[in-house]
Amino acid sequence: MQKAYSNKAVIASLVLPGIICFVFAILAPICLSAFYSFTDFSGLGSYNFIGFTNFKELMGDKAFWRSMLNSLLLAAGFIIIQHPLAIMTAALLDRKGKHAEGFFRCVYFLPNVISVAVIAYLWKFIYNPNFGLLNNIAKIFGGKGDTNWLGSGTAIWAVLIVLIWHGFGWGMLIYYTGIKNIDPTLYEAASIDGADNKQTFLKITLPLMKPVIQVNVTLAIISALKQMETVYLLTNGGPGNETQFTANYLYKQAFSSFRYGYGNAISVVFVIVCVLATQVLNVIFKEREGRKRK
Amino acid sequence: MKRKALALTLAAAMALSLGACGSTDKAAATDDTKTESTDKKDDTAKADDTAKEEDKKEDTAAAGDPVTIKVFSNLPDRTSGQGLVEQTIFDDYKKANPNVTIEVEALDDEAYKTKFKAYASGSQMPDLVNVWGQPGFIDEVMDAGILAELNKDDYKDYGFIEGSLDGFSKDGKLYGLARNTDVLGFYYNEKMFKDNGWEVPTTFDDLYALADKINAAGIIPVAMDGADKWPLDIFITDAMQQIDGSGVMQKTHDAIANADFSDPTFKKATDILVDSAKKGLFQTGFETTDYGTAQNLFINGQSAMYYMGSWDMSMATNQDIDPEVRDNIRVFTMPSVEGGKAKATDITAWNGGGYAVTEKAANKEEAIKLLNFMFQPEEWTKIAWENGVCMSAQDFSQFATGKETEVQKQFTEIVKNSTNLSGTPLGDMGTSEFKTICEDSTQEVAIGSITSDEYLQKLADACK
Repeated sequence: MQKAYSNKAVIASLVLPGIICFVFAILAPICLSAFYSFTDFSGLGSYNFIGFTNFKELMGDKAFWRSMLNSLLLAAGFIIIQHPLAIMTAALLDRKGKHAEGFFRCVYFLPNVISVAVIAYLWKFIYNPNFGLLNNIAKIFGGKGDTNWLGSGTAIWAVLIVLIWHGFGWGMLIYYTGIKNIDPTLYEAASIDGADNKQTFLKITLPLMKPVIQVNVTLAIISALKQMETVYLLTNGGPGNETQFTANYLYKQAFSSFRYGYGNAISVVFVIVCVLATQVLNVIFKEREGRKRK
Repeated sequence: MKRKALALTLAAAMALSLGACGSTDKAAATDDTKTESTDKKDDTAKADDTAKEEDKKEDTAAAGDPVTIKVFSNLPDRTSGQGLVEQTIFDDYKKANPNVTIEVEALDDEAYKTKFKAYASGSQMPDLVNVWGQPGFIDEVMDAGILAELNKDDYKDYGFIEGSLDGFSKDGKLYGLARNTDVLGFYYNEKMFKDNGWEVPTTFDDLYALADKINAAGIIPVAMDGADKWPLDIFITDAMQQIDGSGVMQKTHDAIANADFSDPTFKKATDILVDSAKKGLFQTGFETTDYGTAQNLFINGQSAMYYMGSWDMSMATNQDIDPEVRDNIRVFTMPSVEGGKAKATDITAWNGGGYAVTEKAANKEEAIKLLNFMFQPEEWTKIAWENGVCMSAQDFSQFATGKETEVQKQFTEIVKNSTNLSGTPLGDMGTSEFKTICEDSTQEVAIGSITSDEYLQKLADACK
C-alpha cells in the first residue's frame, strides 16, 4: 500500500480529477475573465482590445468605490457587532441554556435555513413605508410612522441590519461548537478558585476560542466582500448606488448594462482584493501566533 | 504486480468517476432547459424528439415528422394575462399540428434578458424568442445577426398598425413582430372618486390639487413603481409628450446621438417629475416600491390612482381582485401641462415587446410557421382582446364583442382618437448602458439626490 502511494502514476491519478475540476471550473474562467477585461466586449458579437481603458475607468468610478466602501462597512459591522454578540450568545447558551439550549440554538439558526429570497421579501415588508411592521410599531409608540427605511440616507443601515441578522446564526453556531470543545474541568477549576462569570469568560473562554475566532473573522470578511443575493433582492443597490456592493455592481455592469468587458475588469480587481484581504488576515493571525510562541 | 493492479484499479475508478461527472452535467443541462417549461403535459417522447431534431437541423418541414420548437418567453405566468394567451395559442397550434411539440422556458423580464444574452453568446439558441423592438435591446441583437429575417410580404394582410413593426426592422429588413400597442395612463378607482367628490384632472395643476385632497383623506394619490425605475423614465417621456405634443422620439434620438440634453423640454419634463414627487403625488418611499407592491396598493384600495401601461388592463377581468375595485377601474392619460403644446389626444404609446425567430434555430422554418400562426389576426389579437388582456399591435376593432370592460373601451377610444404617439420612451432609446444609467439617475433625481441639471448632465455623459 505504502509503495502504491509512492507511485507517481497513482498519485497523479488521484490528484488529477481535482486539478482538472480546479483548472476548468476556476482557473480557466479567471484567466478568461482577465482576458475579457482588456476588451470592450458587450456579450454579443465582436470585440476590440482596449488595453487598460476599463481599469482606468474603474479607478474613477464613484459607484465602484462606493460599493467597496459598503463592503468594508459590512465587514466592520460583522466584526464589531455581529461577532461579539455571537460569542456572548454562544457563551450564555452554553452556561445558562440548560434545557432550552437546543431550542434557542434552533431559533438563532433559523434565518440561515430560510431561503435568501424569502428573507429579502420578509424584510421588504417589514421596512415598507406604507404598511410595514416597523412603521406600525413606531405609530404605536406615538411616532409618525412614515419613515422610508430603504430610502436615501437610511437604506445602507437597514440593509446592514438584515445582513448582520442573517449571518448571526452561522457565527453563533461555530462559536458554540468551539465553546463546547473547551475542557469543562477548566471551568470547574476556575469556579473552585472563585472566578466569577465575567472572569471565566474573559480568562478562559475567549483565549481558548482564538482559533475559532480567527476562522470566523476570515469567513465574515470574505462573505462581506462577496455579498450579493440579499442586496440584489432587497434594494438592487438603490436608491442610486447607496447600497451598492461590489458583487452586485459587477453583475449590474455585466448583465444589465451589458458591459462584459467592464464587468470582467471589476471581477479581476475584485479577485485581487479578496486574495489580498485573505492574505493580510493570514499574516496578522500568523504574526500573533508567532509572537505568542516566542 | 500488486502495485500495477492497484494503479490500474485506481485509474479505472477515476475514469469512471469522471465519466459519471460528465453524464451528470449533461443531465443537469437538459434539466435546466426544461425547468421553467410549463408545457410538459403531452410530450412524453420529448427527449427522443429533441435528439432527432438536432441531427436534422433545419430541414424538418416534411409533414408528419415529429418537430420540437423551443420557445423562450418572458411570460412566466401561464395561467392568466398574456402568458395564458400565449399558452392558449401554443395549445391550439399543437392540436392543429399533432407532430409538433412546443417546449416553453419562461422567465421574468430581468432574468429573461440576462439569460437571453447567455444563450446568445453560446451556440444553442431557442427557436422562437421574445424581443423588445426598442434600440436599447434590439439594436445589438440585430447587429450580431442573431435574428432570422422574416418575409415582409407574409404579413401584408395581418393588419399590423402602421409603424408598429419599425422597431423590429433594420435597413428595410424585418426581424420580428410586435405583440402589443402599449399606452401609458393613470388607472383610477371611479367609485372612490365619486364617493369623495373628486374629479378626473385635465391639467397638472388640477392633478396636484387633487393629490392634496386625496392625501388629506389619508389615501395615497398615485401608486408608483419607482423601484423598477422604468416607469419613472416613462413619466418623463409622458411629460415631454405633453410639453411638445409631437417629435418627442426624434428629439430624444438626437439628444442621445449628440450627447446633448440641453433642449429645454428635457429640463421641464424632469422638473415635472421632481415636483410630482415633492408635492406628494406618489406614495412615501415610491423609489423602493416594486411593481407588484405598487399594483397591490391600488387594487387593495390604498391608493386612488396607479400609473402604469395598458398591459395592466387585465386587472378589470382578474377574479382575484375585489369586485368593488375591479369593476370600477377606469383610466385617463397624462393631464396637460402649463404652456404645453399637446392636445388631449397626443398620447404616450409605443410598440414594445414582440417575437422573433433566431437565425441559428434548430427548427427555423417550423418556428417561423408557428410565429405566423400566432399573429394571424384571429389568434393573438382576438384572444388577447376577448380576454381583456391587452391591445395587440394589429387592428383589433373587428373583434369587438360588446362585452368589453370599461377600461378596455376607454383604451380603445384613446388609441382610436390619438393624434400623435410619443414612440419609445427615454430609457429604451439608447444602449443598454444608457438605459441603466438613465434609470438610476431618474430615480435619483425623483428623490432629490441630484438636481435636474446634474441629471441631464449624467444622461449626456452616458451617451459619450
